[in-house]
Amino acid sequence: MNDELDRAVLPVMRVKARPVRRSMVARLFGGLVLGLAALLCVWLFVLPVVVVALSSAASHWSGTILPDGFSTRWFERLSSSDFDALTTSLEIGMGVAVLGTLLGLWLALALEGRDRRGLGAWIDTIAMMPNGVPSVVLGLAVLIAYHKRPVDLSSSAAIVVFVQLALVLPFCYRCAAAALRPELTVLREAAASLGAPASMVLRRIVLPQLVPAIRASLALGFALSLGELGATLTVYPPGFATVPIVVVGQVERGYYLPASALSLILLLVSLAALMLIAARVPRRRHD
Amino acid sequence: MSFLSNPEASTSVPPLAAAADTLCRASVASHQVAVKRRHRTAQWHLLFIALFVLGPLVIYPLVRLVVLSLSGPRGIGLQAYAAFFGNPQTRGVIGTTLWILLASAGLASLLGVVLASLLFFKPFPGARIVTRFLELFVAFPSFLVAFTLIFLYGSQGSVSIGLQRLFHLHAPLDFLFGAGGVILAEVVFYAPFVVRPTLASFATLDMRLIEAARSLGASGWMVAFKVILPLAWPGIAAGTILCFLLTLNEFGILLVLGSAHLITLPVAIYSSATVDLDLPTAAAGAVVMLFLSLSLYALYRQVNSRAVKRSGS
Repeated sequence: MNDELDRAVLPVMRVKARPVRRSMVARLFGGLVLGLAALLCVWLFVLPVVVVALSSAASHWSGTILPDGFSTRWFERLSSSDFDALTTSLEIGMGVAVLGTLLGLWLALALEGRDRRGLGAWIDTIAMMPNGVPSVVLGLAVLIAYHKRPVDLSSSAAIVVFVQLALVLPFCYRCAAAALRPELTVLREAAASLGAPASMVLRRIVLPQLVPAIRASLALGFALSLGELGATLTVYPPGFATVPIVVVGQVERGYYLPASALSLILLLVSLAALMLIAARVPRRRHD
Repeated sequence: MSFLSNPEASTSVPPLAAAADTLCRASVASHQVAVKRRHRTAQWHLLFIALFVLGPLVIYPLVRLVVLSLSGPRGIGLQAYAAFFGNPQTRGVIGTTLWILLASAGLASLLGVVLASLLFFKPFPGARIVTRFLELFVAFPSFLVAFTLIFLYGSQGSVSIGLQRLFHLHAPLDFLFGAGGVILAEVVFYAPFVVRPTLASFATLDMRLIEAARSLGASGWMVAFKVILPLAWPGIAAGTILCFLLTLNEFGILLVLGSAHLITLPVAIYSSATVDLDLPTAAAGAVVMLFLSLSLYALYRQVNSRAVKRSGS
């Protein structure tokens, strides 16, 4: 019963109109190709995630197909510096997510309906530009601009927040701008024409409209900030480390299994953040 | 009511009509003034944002980067560029970067489009889970992909050991820390970024056209190349360019798998900035890379806006 599947989630499934008669060989061949494609999907995209989970619980894994045995010792052995890095990552991620969402909202509200020409188009382009700038280049630029006076941030964690904020801003701005759809503008104009003051329109109409976008933008900013490596690695001050920096350091020194344990924790945290997005995916109401 | 039924009555009160007219004009004028004032306030607001938000975050750092790369010991000069590209280690760096980019983004785009068409037109059992999984791939940091490949394809990894046992090879598989590994990791990581826009552009297709072509006797290949591809092309092009852009800007994979043998632009910039502590030279490389990325990005924006316009109309 293909056609009883949920169409709202995946508008993909089509009812086969008529059974096409094909030869046995063609059908076998088709099935084989599909099977290979499914295997390739699992192999390429599912296996890496499985490997992180498997290796973080492996007691030893080198030179064998499957791990020798399983233990939780890599999690138990996580040192205080690893947990410091985790705390730092979480703090930076939350700061970046909140600030990025606020800035994105501000930009989207200010640019609404004005991003096509003149100054608005320029600002739209500049706000989206970090999307196209390599993270190392942006990190280097921020380092050059703020590593000595008049503004010296090179010894504080603020420079990391700063560079990550620039990197997540396009995503947050896009989220908020996509939520300000024209059909919702009508509501606002109606409220204003009925005499609601601007602050009331903002509080009662605009913000409720934007709640899903705000959640998505927070989650996206958080997940991106947790996994950010290039820019952070370029600017980070001495004595500061986020989880990606620690993991890459451990990998370069050959400590693979502890790195797995730490990255599994990182993955779970960012997965939890992304679940917020999944919860946000519009349940289409038929009204 | 009697007022309405008698049309001459309105002409009998000219002072009232004149007053209404002036009132109306005054209201229109005041409305225009208000519109103009609102427009001007909005412009000032935008200028404020440009100066105090985007200025320090984006504009000022990039300007400083370009200025630093151009400043020599005596005023303006190109010494930094000469130093960056004259370094024997980084001689062919642009060529290396470009061929790695072409190979990995080309393969990733091809794989992504093929996968998306399979997922869309011939959904196999579990296709929906795979789609959901590909959406979650965004949260997977790229350096982690490189890292997991070490467990699979490294010389002691499970796939290489499996192959060794299967075919009784003596030499272990050893391609990971170099171009091969970088390309593999980038294909794995960036193919999902092509799948999603391609699926989205397939979803806007009019299925009736495909059914019509089929019922007129077109074969599968013909439907794919004469109907689906021309219609879905703008979305696919946008996804492919995005894939090239992201692959060009990739850093984590290159750092984990390629930093030892394979010098590409991001790694060269990173090492001259943080290992050699030579900011002007790093800035020169960064400006070259910025130029490459931003031109690709401009292309993406143009193609994407066209794709969005077409699917909207």
